[in-house]
Amino acid sequence: MASTLLVVSVFLAFSSLVSGDKCIGPQVKSDVYTSKEGPMSTQAVFIVEFSLSCKNNLKNLPLYAELNGQVMPASRAISSDKYQVSWSGEHKSVSSGTYNVRIYDEEGYAALRKAQRSGGDTSAISPLYTVPIPYSGVWKGPLVQTEFVAVCAAVLVWYLAHSTRSRLQS
Amino acid sequence: MMKALSTVCLVLLLAFASSAGGDEESTARLLVSKNILNEYLVADKDLTVEYIIYNVGGSPALNVELNDDSFPDSDFSVVRGFLKVKWQRLAPGSNVTHSVIVRPKNYGMFNFTSAQVSYKPSEATDIQRVYTSAPGEGQIVSLKEFDRQFSPHIMDWATFAIMTLPSIAFPWMLWYRSKSKYEGKTKKN
Repeated sequence: MASTLLVVSVFLAFSSLVSGDKCIGPQVKSDVYTSKEGPMSTQAVFIVEFSLSCKNNLKNLPLYAELNGQVMPASRAISSDKYQVSWSGEHKSVSSGTYNVRIYDEEGYAALRKAQRSGGDTSAISPLYTVPIPYSGVWKGPLVQTEFVAVCAAVLVWYLAHSTRSRLQS
Repeated sequence: MMKALSTVCLVLLLAFASSAGGDEESTARLLVSKNILNEYLVADKDLTVEYIIYNVGGSPALNVELNDDSFPDSDFSVVRGFLKVKWQRLAPGSNVTHSVIVRPKNYGMFNFTSAQVSYKPSEATDIQRVYTSAPGEGQIVSLKEFDRQFSPHIMDWATFAIMTLPSIAFPWMLWYRSKSKYEGKTKKN
């Protein structure tokens, strides 16, 4: 019993020493923005602002984000301890759906790059956190122009009147 | 003679310019573009700003800081993103995109000017400062103006339909009344 306890405590002490730079129990609070209106942006833009809190109170960790196969370093706001990643793509090639931004720390990033270079499976590397981005596309205008509907209604009324009149006159 | 002389001068100038830029192999060099992605600039609607930082040098850029002062609080509110950010390290030959969404508070002509980027080209050198490209002047239209051109005007069309109703419904009703009276008479006969 005592020996098991000793082994366990040595193991815990060792692992806490080793995990000096690693975030334990990462919690991410995020705010996401996606482009909503076509005229306001010629490209689909995703912005994720997030803050990371670790159980071992690590701060100022360099973080990296991966979205759609593109890996980029996360920027840090100067006025707060939040991070930001942005991504943009052509409207044509960005379909609606849920995109997942995977956040990696330094270690995860190195493993990711290694896997990318050697053509290995990048999904096997578990990220620190995943932020889902629901994207429903941009509003490009109403499906049918109201002017078109008005013209159709006017033509319909005229047609009804005309056909009734020609029927009466015949 | 003059042409040969001017060509020699030009070549010398280019050689000087390229060498004055420092040893390309061992320092970082950042080129930053700033673009407004909007097709229309409308007050109280999102304005998308995109910065792309390219490291065209041979070594990583350190302590990269982007600072954009050109959207004062009096004229713009930030919807998402930060106008002052930093990256610890930017690898050579890579680029990074940074976007910010602001919302103009007023309408009128606005001159979109450059933002500043500072970085260390290598461990030993001093901080280098560069300016981003400037998108230039743009006309921010008021929301009313934009809606006049682009909104579906459903209420306006509905009002128009109601207004045309009397001039169509009234003659139709007259005809229908006389028709039913006439048909009633013929049926009696």
